[in-house]
Amino acid sequence: MILTIFKKDLKLFFADKKGALLTFALPILLISLFAFAFGGVGGNRTAKPVQLLVVDNDFTKDSKEMLLNLEALKGVKTIAEERVTAINLVKKGKYVAVLIVEKGFQDSVALGKDLPLELKYDAAREIEMGMLQSVLMQNLMTSVGKKMMNGKMEASFDANFPGTPKNIKEKALRLMNSDQAGMNTMMGENNMGLQMTSVIKEAIRKGNLGLIQAVAGTAIMMLLFSIAGIGGGLLDEKEAGTLKRLLYSPVKPTDVLFGKMLAALLLSIFQLSIMFVFSWLVFGLPIFKDLSSLILMIIATAFAVSSFGIFLVSIAKSRQQLQGYSTIIIMLMSAIGGSMIPLFVMPEIMQQIAVISVNYWGIQGFYDIFWRSLPLTEILPKMGILVAIGLGMTLISVRLFKKNVLKMI
Amino acid sequence: MIQVTNLSKSFNELKAVENISFSINKGEVFGLLGPNGAGKSTTINMMSTILSSDNGTILIDGNDIKKSPNICKTLIGVVPQEISLYDDFTAYENLLFWGQLYKIPSKELKERIATILELIGLSDRKNDLIKTYSGGMKRRINIASAILHKPKILFMDEPTVGVDPQSRNRIFEIVENLNKLGMTIVYTTHYMEEVERLCNRIAIIDDGKIVAQGTQSELQKESNVKETIEIMFQTITTNQVKKLKEIFPSVVQNKQSITIVCDANKELSTIISICNSENLQIEDLKLNKVNLETIFLNFTGKQLRD
Repeated sequence: MILTIFKKDLKLFFADKKGALLTFALPILLISLFAFAFGGVGGNRTAKPVQLLVVDNDFTKDSKEMLLNLEALKGVKTIAEERVTAINLVKKGKYVAVLIVEKGFQDSVALGKDLPLELKYDAAREIEMGMLQSVLMQNLMTSVGKKMMNGKMEASFDANFPGTPKNIKEKALRLMNSDQAGMNTMMGENNMGLQMTSVIKEAIRKGNLGLIQAVAGTAIMMLLFSIAGIGGGLLDEKEAGTLKRLLYSPVKPTDVLFGKMLAALLLSIFQLSIMFVFSWLVFGLPIFKDLSSLILMIIATAFAVSSFGIFLVSIAKSRQQLQGYSTIIIMLMSAIGGSMIPLFVMPEIMQQIAVISVNYWGIQGFYDIFWRSLPLTEILPKMGILVAIGLGMTLISVRLFKKNVLKMI
Repeated sequence: MIQVTNLSKSFNELKAVENISFSINKGEVFGLLGPNGAGKSTTINMMSTILSSDNGTILIDGNDIKKSPNICKTLIGVVPQEISLYDDFTAYENLLFWGQLYKIPSKELKERIATILELIGLSDRKNDLIKTYSGGMKRRINIASAILHKPKILFMDEPTVGVDPQSRNRIFEIVENLNKLGMTIVYTTHYMEEVERLCNRIAIIDDGKIVAQGTQSELQKESNVKETIEIMFQTITTNQVKKLKEIFPSVVQNKQSITIVCDANKELSTIISICNSENLQIEDLKLNKVNLETIFLNFTGKQLRD
């Protein structure tokens, strides 16, 4: 008897091909994604060098040589830029960091003084920063380390032992140079003067990067699920016959779709607002920092998400199918878009793919408000993209709704 | 009121409706009678604007459905086969919602809802959620939702499916009342007794084609189906059958029984007295009256519930 029931259940399971596919395909897809993001799978083939902006205000032989050596390294690609522009680009999250070589670099090398170097970085990309810092220190050590050591020693002899014969000084310097480990320790004590500052100071002080990621990432992912559910009401109406009855009345098919979408939009705005208010009350997320940008961003995100929800409904022919599609698409989009894993820990290629997801633009927009503290004008393009996604999805939905949903009435 | 000419509709290879024509007069209750899958709902869907035809024309009160769908939509009301209501709304909320789609002014709509609830006998339950209603009550609200905008024509697609006899009678009364108020009704069903009770004229539809149409007596004439009496005797001889045939030429013998085509009301007593005079002992007697079921069987070779 048990065997009969067992066989029946297996048969029923595999009869639902989409369900069966979902059971196996979705975990495989997610495993692949996470392995790619965390496990470095394919990293050797696809890893791109970290792009580092450089500003050379010293423009001397030593500064040029140091930057040339940096460029020659495999893991780094330098891009020369003007100071203000470079800092803005890092602030906007376009680049990890900018290395500013101030005037007096060559003189400091010669005298063995702390180097006038500043690395302004985006703390949201700490993994890339960690790698960059290590590469940078190595480069400085090999490029100017010896010269700095010599300068430091000479200055020390002149100050403490004036009149020391030249051959004694040279002998002492040779001895010092042969002790690479000791030299590294001595020079690395204060990072050779390299100043590291985050371009977003306030955020560091509040330490809310993780919170922003958690709130924005989770809010958008959960919103996608709930909107797919609300949109699914349209399929319920089809199954219950109320959709057919709506069409008997002087209502256009698109009115039915837009009515549902408007409800989804308002509920999305409400849901996102509640989530941000909750995060403010419980976790202290500074939602009043730039309220107008936040409101506009919530509306743009809600529009994109509700259009996406309606799009999912338009491609599905039943509730069951919608559940399958929405689980796969939302999970994938959330994984690549940064809802599940912060985008900055993902390989470059994944970060490039992320732009196809609603999650990416939403999360980046909220980053701009809470983390990068960008003005509204700088965030508007991201809002524009979300609105464009929403409009695109709406247009596709109208066509598919007529084709898939109305046809089956 | 409705003029359907050469209407056809196919779904891929399946010809759901094939070149049908009929007209429905103002104030009529017109029955579309056919088994499941005959093409009744497809025809109703085309007449109610939600399905476009491949060929043919439909005129609703003189308006071409393809050219003026919105005018036609205001002229018609549809009671769908499914109970198309929002379970989590009350009856009143449902009626309010469906009425608002026709842009009926708020005050007028509320008055109409009150009148209709009275008509269908559910005024006292108006504030109850639909999900708490019985099947028959839901059916009545289903009808009410379709007549709020006072349509000239009401399409009723199998409105009594799954209801108890009492509710069915209540629905019949509603249909009759609406018809008395001047509403033209197109009624589809596969229950012949409903058509017999309610419809002035009938179209028999089978495999997407109208095989006959007219009043029930017209259909009876056209089908050539006659009322018969079947009499079973203890024994009957060939001579006795011959004698009976002289009086009733339609007599057919089958072993110890005969079947006579006749008008039972007029001729039954004569038949019995002749049998007595011939010393034929009657064991059993069966009257086969002509009804839509037999007419339908004659036209299509199928039972209505096939």
